[in-house]
Amino acid sequence: MREWKEWEIKLLKYKDFPAGLQRVRPKVKQLFYRGEWKKDLFDKAVAVVGSRKITKYGRMATEMMVRGLTEAGYTIVSGFMYGVDTAAHKTCLENKGRTVAVLGCGLDCLTPAENDSLYTKILENGGLVVSEFTPKQEAKLWTFPYRNRIVAGLSQAVLVIEAGEKSGSLVTARWAFQQKKKVLAVPGMITASLSKGTNWLIKNGAGLARDANDILEELGGIRPLKEKRKGRILPKLRGEEAAVVEWLKREEMDADELSRKLNKSITQINILLSELCLKGVVEESGNKFMLGLEYVD
Amino acid sequence: MLTKVWSVASRGLEALEIEVEVNVAAKGFPGFQIVGLPTKAVEEAKERVRTALVNTGIAFPAKKIVVNLAPADIPKEGSAYDLAMAVGILAAIGEIVLPACAGRPEKKIYFYGEVGLDGRLRHTRGVFLLASLAFEKGVKEIFVPKLSANEASVVKGVKSFPVASLRQLIRHFQGEKKIRALKNLDKNRLIEAAEVDFDFKEVVGQEQAKRALLIAAAGGHNVLMVGPPGSGKTMLARALPGILPELLEAEALEVTKIYSVTGNIEPGGGLVRRRPFRSPHHTTSRMGLIGGGTKPMPGEISLAHRGVLFLDEFAEYPRTTLEALRQPLEDGVVTVVRVAGAMKFPASFMLVAASNPCPCGWLNHPKKPCICLPGQILNYQKRMSGPILDRIDIHINVPFVEVGKLRQDTPEVKEVHTSGVIRLQVVVARKIQEIRLKNDYIFTNGEMRNKQIKKYCRLSEDAERLLQTAADKFQLSARSYFRVIKISRTIADLERAEGIEYNHVAEALQYRVRS
Repeated sequence: MREWKEWEIKLLKYKDFPAGLQRVRPKVKQLFYRGEWKKDLFDKAVAVVGSRKITKYGRMATEMMVRGLTEAGYTIVSGFMYGVDTAAHKTCLENKGRTVAVLGCGLDCLTPAENDSLYTKILENGGLVVSEFTPKQEAKLWTFPYRNRIVAGLSQAVLVIEAGEKSGSLVTARWAFQQKKKVLAVPGMITASLSKGTNWLIKNGAGLARDANDILEELGGIRPLKEKRKGRILPKLRGEEAAVVEWLKREEMDADELSRKLNKSITQINILLSELCLKGVVEESGNKFMLGLEYVD
Repeated sequence: MLTKVWSVASRGLEALEIEVEVNVAAKGFPGFQIVGLPTKAVEEAKERVRTALVNTGIAFPAKKIVVNLAPADIPKEGSAYDLAMAVGILAAIGEIVLPACAGRPEKKIYFYGEVGLDGRLRHTRGVFLLASLAFEKGVKEIFVPKLSANEASVVKGVKSFPVASLRQLIRHFQGEKKIRALKNLDKNRLIEAAEVDFDFKEVVGQEQAKRALLIAAAGGHNVLMVGPPGSGKTMLARALPGILPELLEAEALEVTKIYSVTGNIEPGGGLVRRRPFRSPHHTTSRMGLIGGGTKPMPGEISLAHRGVLFLDEFAEYPRTTLEALRQPLEDGVVTVVRVAGAMKFPASFMLVAASNPCPCGWLNHPKKPCICLPGQILNYQKRMSGPILDRIDIHINVPFVEVGKLRQDTPEVKEVHTSGVIRLQVVVARKIQEIRLKNDYIFTNGEMRNKQIKKYCRLSEDAERLLQTAADKFQLSARSYFRVIKISRTIADLERAEGIEYNHVAEALQYRVRS
């Protein structure tokens, strides 16, 4: 617990800021940070932000995007709050990438408390935890939207994964527009409340992000990784298993729904699901079953 | 003149013979006194007995009457001594003549029951316990209120006389008109028609949950259902009694004893044959659930003995209350210790718990967004502690059912499983278990410990391999590992299979704890 306390807090002066951050208005006067400041960290950086509430779709999208970006050598900048932010940091670390967390409070105030170990892990993996507030500053309602300008300022583009109609992520997007940064958003169902904000962004000029390549293309200069990121080939499945997978390709379902769709008894469905889960083809989340992430086309 | 009659006191689930000595003195100031640590209810018997006798047409003696309840150092509670006192007075004034017993138990008579002001006898709790004690002590005759007499009639070798009023009793002993003793009832004919709130066929969809409850009922496994409001958790639980088999004779006697002592048998009721189904509210106190009080009484878990304890809104129970369930869940009995003494109550029940996934209830709901913060959800789920969840074999999600979707998918209602059909499967599976486990003195797979699992649960080769793979992939704890085997055993029993096969394990894996 709180191993990150052992890392020293350092102060970065305005003149040492990366160029992008110097241009941010209202002006950022100082930046406290924990971790090792490396110049190249912000050469290639993308902000991945989104709602504090995260749906399964959002989680999936975050994982897909962040994995692609990390593999292309990008630093992931995000806001350390729960939901999309935490998912982005975590996915980046899982893929051995570097990630920067911009806190909405002082560096010594852990908000949210459950991200204790994440804080340490970010530092251990060559990332940074930064804040413009003095270390003892408590999180306030205004501090979060305010620090969002730094999130935008530290990156070349902002990717919004999920956002409600009045989401803080839209604030980040607005800062990014102001700073002439690229904004991309992941589209969602028109009925999903947490995709209202992102769909609105796309309608108003944000780039459409269907996969990591869309972002890489937007940032330019990088050859799209199209071939590499094809879905993995499914292992050989029996007829019944294939039928289950066929339905799960369309949408996630619970055991009861599968039983009705396939007209099989719940016992048979349970057996099939156990086998598919053990093969890693199907994953379970909440009470729904879905195709494993690597098999999504 | 001094007379002695006998009655019975109960302490927890044990009964104790009480000697009621009545002395109607020829000299002294007129009065009526009760000694022998009577509580208020016993103290007030004075007025009840006096008035009842007067209203029966007996001239109440204007003499000094002393009643002693021996042994005098045990506190006496309740209104059940009324009848013994009234009979004692009647005998002392020579109104009736009791047969002399001279200390021989077979000549003793127990009197038990509360008397109303009009001389009628009221339904009194604990009659079954009285009959059991009579049987134990070799007492042949007991006189109890008519409304409670059925409870006693299931005890063989004891003649129970149903008494409607004091007048009837006087005529019996005066030899005018004898009361006919109840026949020992044939236990098998006492089956009450099972009245159940819901039939399984009424629950639309939720095949997964129904299957899980069938397995739970067949093997006596504990179940946890998690799902949003309105998904049918409570309805499923309430349908459960309809698929449970009747109590075996030995079980019925245990249950009747508890119900008799706590006054849970209806007037006129006899042996309890239906499996108890208890659903206490989540504000129930710890003692109310576990049992206790200064004079310890069985709690809800003992009232659910050999039946179902349904805890709705499981996460809303105070943590201390839930934690108190740990030991009874493990041992099947609960020992309540108070200054007055330690008491053991049987509490071998099947726990059925239902809970929402989060405080607002809509987590994972397809349409409604959940408005809880992640911390709140974590706190909510943390209330159900690991050790408690570890003692629950079957964990299932009860998803929300969209009525429209249901109709769409099932144009004609699929093969309907009624409670009756399901119950038959349960009965067969339980019989198989009963035979297999009889040397271990347990009835169901749910009660098996690791030793018995190793003894009775042989897995086929590919089943073993599947379980190993699953243990690695899902990171099953040792306890969960054995639990999967237990459930596989029950699934195999439902199919009347000798050994545990691949498919049984594969299905059982879907009911494991998700962490």
